[in-house]
Amino acid sequence: MRAFFTSLLANRKASIGAGIVAFFLALALFGPLVAPAGPNQRVGRPHEAPSAAHIMGTTRMGRDVLAQTIHGTRTSLLVGLSAGLMITAIGTAVGVTAGYLGGRVDEALNLITNVVLVIPNLPLMLVLAAFIGAASPATIALIIAGTAWGWGARVTRAQTQSLRNRDYIHAAELLGEPTWRILACELLPNLVSIIGFNFIGSVLYAVVTEATLEFLGLGDALKVSWGTLLYNAQTTSALQVGAWWEVACPCLALVLFGSGLSLINFAMDEVANPRLRTLRLKLRAVA
Amino acid sequence: MSFLLRRAGFYVVAFVVAAIFNFLLPRLMPGNPIDIMFAQAGTVLPPESLEALKATFGFVDGPWPVQFGHYLASVFTFDLGLSVRFHPLTVNAVLMQALPWTLLLVLTSSLIAFLMGSALGIRAAWRRGGAFDSFGAPAALMIQAVPPLVTSLVALFVLSIRLKWLPTGYAWAPELDPGFTLAFIGSVLAHAALPILTLVVAQIGGYLITMRNSMINLLGEDYITLATAKGLSDGRVRYAYAARNALLPTVTSFAMTLGATFGGALITEIVFNYPGLGYTLYQGITARDYPLIQGQLMLMTLAMLTANFAADLLCLALDPRLRRA
Repeated sequence: MRAFFTSLLANRKASIGAGIVAFFLALALFGPLVAPAGPNQRVGRPHEAPSAAHIMGTTRMGRDVLAQTIHGTRTSLLVGLSAGLMITAIGTAVGVTAGYLGGRVDEALNLITNVVLVIPNLPLMLVLAAFIGAASPATIALIIAGTAWGWGARVTRAQTQSLRNRDYIHAAELLGEPTWRILACELLPNLVSIIGFNFIGSVLYAVVTEATLEFLGLGDALKVSWGTLLYNAQTTSALQVGAWWEVACPCLALVLFGSGLSLINFAMDEVANPRLRTLRLKLRAVA
Repeated sequence: MSFLLRRAGFYVVAFVVAAIFNFLLPRLMPGNPIDIMFAQAGTVLPPESLEALKATFGFVDGPWPVQFGHYLASVFTFDLGLSVRFHPLTVNAVLMQALPWTLLLVLTSSLIAFLMGSALGIRAAWRRGGAFDSFGAPAALMIQAVPPLVTSLVALFVLSIRLKWLPTGYAWAPELDPGFTLAFIGSVLAHAALPILTLVVAQIGGYLITMRNSMINLLGEDYITLATAKGLSDGRVRYAYAARNALLPTVTSFAMTLGATFGGALITEIVFNYPGLGYTLYQGITARDYPLIQGQLMLMTLAMLTANFAADLLCLALDPRLRRA
């Protein structure tokens, strides 16, 4: 386990990714302190091009785009992290239980997992969001978590099944450890890399999906987040009138944050699966 | 055979679950479900159509099981009711008008992304750690992290609004008459180019990474070493031995990624005003046209199930172990 983290730290992709993610986390925490203006404060004329006063220009409403993006980081990341946490929790609980207990329980849980996997996510979320109306960020996080846990459950179940017949599990069973303890103390620690993989992928998915739902007008347009910024830009035809800066800033934030998470995931894959490690990495590990 | 039967049984269950979802949702919302679902419809439809629409969605006298039986009967006879936004068209008619355009985008882009992504993945795996791999693999990963929403907005602005190389919306130039003329087909292709490009960008990274990783895993196998030791040509080992087997995970994951591709197509169509399912759905959402929104969920689920069934058949053909089970 320690070796896993040490080689993760030595991986250049992982450190760049972690740096990017840390930057956004700091922005979410302290952003409002460093933002050049309030989220809904009118600071200039509509659609001012980027200048020294407004680095990323202003929106149709004369608000500072950079300031709004910084303020929106908190909502977007909060939805991403909480939905990612819920997806991982549900997926892990279902996967470990199904994989360890087997039999009827496994059949039932596996059926539910497969149904969740095969019903297309976005159309399903659109139906939900349409009935709920202007969905708050918390509701959106719940919707995302409820529809997206299938993949994690499937992967965790497969891994649990392969661990299930190891000697140390049999030993724990013979010692009379209660089932919950076997699940939580024997199995979970050995699933850490899969759970981490699942979590990072889910956060990325949740941040993008929240932005998408809000872009489609299914969110609460008064809450400032990356998605509602894009929604407002779309409804005011920002691109058509040439105000690209209104779209550029939230898009850049989405892409940068996503790349950071993917880099970490890629590096974790390399560390967990040595065959994927490229030549240069091997050389460095030796040296 | 029993494998296919089990799968078919599962697909029926999944389809019914999607129907249960549609049935329960309006009834679980606070307030009167009929008011929620048909508030918009009441202002558009004549009274007798409204009554028929309510019956289609199971709003009949009787307890919930009876109501659900009614709804299930309409779903399985593909009676999805009347559209509110596109009155007097039925939901079926609206969806069928839009479906071909979405299929054009999804199928073309999937094919291009699959061929290009797999070819590049093979190349990266063959020379793993080389210049192309060190640059290509992380780049593919970054591209994969870019949401289709961002890709389509950037493509729209740069290629059609700024450079004016390609049209900004719709499926063909309005002054042309639909038909098998060179001008019309050219116009359709020009209008589809940007949405397809966006979707290719969204998918290609995934195919590249899947192919690369599964091929790198295979290249360590003994039979590859043996093939090289026998003196087979590089090309033979690369394609007939390694790539042939590395393709299997891609095929099985193809059906799963199709759902995401449909989702991506929805977004792309909205950005480009492209008259497929996504754009139609968007208009339905803004008009709170619930029969249309629910109908597209059933259609999309059906599309996913069909794709999964096709993947099952393909696996059956590729993997003899499944046939014996």
